[in-house]
Amino acid sequence: MFVEVAVPTAATGTAIPAGTAGAALVDGAVSRPRVSAVRPPLARRMLAAVPPYLYLLPGMISLALWTYKPIIEAVQLSFYRWNLLPTSPRIYVGLENYQRLFTIPQLRDAAMNTLWYVLGLVPFAIILPTAVALVVRDLSGRSRTVYRALLFLPVLVAPVAAAAVWRWLLDPSGLVNHALGLGAFNWLREESTALFSILMICAWQILGFAVLVISAGLTGISADYTEAAEMDGASRWQTTRWVTLPMLRSTLLFMLLMTVLLSAQWTFPLIDVLTQGGPVDSTTNVYYLLWEFGFRSLDSGLASAAGVVFFLAFAVVAAALVKLADHYSFADN
Amino acid sequence: MTGRTTGGGTTRGRTTAGGTTGGARVPRRRTAAGHLLLALLSLISLFPVYWMFASSLRQPGHIFRQSLLPWPLSLESYRFVFDNLDMSALLANTLVIAVVTAAGQLMVCLLAAYAFAAWEFRGRNILFLMFVATWLIPFQVTMISNYLVLSNLGLLNTLAGVIIPNLCSALAVLMLRQHMQAFPRELLDAARIDGRGSWTILWTVVVPNLRPVLASLSILLFISAWNDYFWPALVLQRANSVVQLGIRGFLTEEGDNWGALMAASGLACLPVFALYMAMQRQVVDAFVRSGLR
Repeated sequence: MFVEVAVPTAATGTAIPAGTAGAALVDGAVSRPRVSAVRPPLARRMLAAVPPYLYLLPGMISLALWTYKPIIEAVQLSFYRWNLLPTSPRIYVGLENYQRLFTIPQLRDAAMNTLWYVLGLVPFAIILPTAVALVVRDLSGRSRTVYRALLFLPVLVAPVAAAAVWRWLLDPSGLVNHALGLGAFNWLREESTALFSILMICAWQILGFAVLVISAGLTGISADYTEAAEMDGASRWQTTRWVTLPMLRSTLLFMLLMTVLLSAQWTFPLIDVLTQGGPVDSTTNVYYLLWEFGFRSLDSGLASAAGVVFFLAFAVVAAALVKLADHYSFADN
Repeated sequence: MTGRTTGGGTTRGRTTAGGTTGGARVPRRRTAAGHLLLALLSLISLFPVYWMFASSLRQPGHIFRQSLLPWPLSLESYRFVFDNLDMSALLANTLVIAVVTAAGQLMVCLLAAYAFAAWEFRGRNILFLMFVATWLIPFQVTMISNYLVLSNLGLLNTLAGVIIPNLCSALAVLMLRQHMQAFPRELLDAARIDGRGSWTILWTVVVPNLRPVLASLSILLFISAWNDYFWPALVLQRANSVVQLGIRGFLTEEGDNWGALMAASGLACLPVFALYMAMQRQVVDAFVRSGLR
C-alpha cells in the first residue's frame, strides 16, 4: 500500500486517497470527525511507514557494510601502524602516518602526475568532444550514427586488453615506431614519453564517451534558440559561441567534474599493466601510490592515511566545482 | 501510451528534428571538413582494435611484419592461447561474475529506487544522498578494509568475494529513480485503488513499463562488471581466474608472444563487442544516460 501518511505534513488532498483507501473514506463519511479518519491509529501508521524501508534494506545493508564501514575503518587504520597480518599487533601511532605521508618524496611526483593527467585529459574529455559533437550534429542521420559508433568502440575495450594492444603498438619493434621511422624507441620505458603515452591511451578510450554525452547535451537544446539567433543575423560562430555553448554549460561542467575526479581512476589499470608507475615514478598517480603502500609495502596505516587525504582533497575540488556550476546556472537566469 | 513517456523517446524525437533543420543550413565545404575530421578520429579510434584482431590472425612467424593486411591468415595464435591458458574457464568465470553482479545490482537498486520514487518517508533525502555519494568514494579508500573482511570470511579467491561487495550501484539507483518519477502517477493510483499491494504493483505496473531502461541499464552494468579489473585482481590474485587477469599474467610471462597476447585480448573483448553489435542502440543509450544524470 502506498502511504504518504508517514509524513505528517502531507497535504490532506493526497492523504485521503492514499491513507487506507476504502475503509478510511467510509469511516470518515459516516460520523467521526475528518481529522481522525485521515490519521489512523499509531500502530497502523507505524506499520504503514515500514514498506519503503523494507525496499531500501538490501541496498542500505550493502552500502553500510561495503562502503561506509570501510571508510570509518580507513580513518581508524590511519592512526595505527600495522602490516595487514592478522597475527601481528596494531600499534597506535597518532598522526605519525600523516607526517610520514607528507615527507615521502614520491607523494610530490604522484600528485604532480595526477595533475598532469587531469590537465592532459581535459582537451580529450571536453574541448575536442565538443567540437566533434557540434560537427556530428550537422551531419545527416546515417553517417552520424556510423561516426558515433566508431568513436565509441574504444570505450568498450577492456582496460587490460587496451593496455596489451597499445603495448604492442608502442613496442620498440611495433607499428608506431615503424610508421614514424623511429627505430627501436621504447615509449613506455623512457621517462620523457611514458606519461604522455599513458595519457594518449586514456584519451583514446574516453573520447567516444565524451562525444556521446556532449551530443546528448546538444540534442537537449531546442533548435528554436539557434534559429532565433540566426534570424537576428548572427553568424554561425556567433551562434555557437553565444547561444549553444552557454546552454551546454551544465553538460560541460559535468564532464569537467568527471575528468577531475576520475582521471586518476581511468589511468590506474593502464599504469598497473604498462609501467607499474615507472620509469623513476614518472607515471605513478596518487591512487597507484596508495595501492603500492597498501599491497606492496603492506603498510596499511600509510595507505589509509593516503586514502583519507586524497579523498578529502578530491571532495574539496568537487565541491568547489559544483559551487561554480551553481553560480553559473544562477547567472543564467 | 505509457511506455512512450520515458526520456529516451523524446530525446530521439528531438534528435531527428534538429538534425534535418541543421543539415539543410550547413554549406557543403563545411560538411566536407567535418567528414574529414570525423573520418580521421574514427580511424584513430578503430585502428588499435583492428590491429589487435589483425595481429592475432597473423601466422606466428609473420608477427613483426607490419603490413596492414595479415596474410596468410592463421588461427595458430588462438590455438596457442587455448592450449596455454585455460581460456574457456577464464571466460566462464568472467561471465558468471558479470551476469551475477549485473543481476544483483539490478535487483537491489530496483527495490531501492522504487522506495525513493514511490514514497515520502522520514530520512528520504539523507538516505538518497548516502546512495548517490558512493559514486564519489574511490574504491582505493575502501579496498583495504573490504579485503580484510573478505579474508576473515574466507571469501578471498572466490567468485562470491568479487560479486558480494559490489551489489549496490549508485548509478543504477539514480537512473531507475529518475525514470520511475517520470512515470504517470495516475497508473500507480489506479492500481492502488484496485487494492493491489506495493509489491504486486512493482512487478505488474512499474517493471513492465521500465523495460527499455532496465534493458539498457543491465547492459551497462554487465559491461562494467565484465571490464572491471582491480577488484577481481585483488580478490582472486591468481592469473587463472578471470580473463582480465589471464591477460595480465600472459603479458608478464609471454611478453613477446604478441600474436597470442592479441588473441587473448581479442577474446576478452569479443562478448562485449558482440553485445554492442547486436544492441547498439541500447548500449549507446545506456552510456548516454549514465553520463547525463
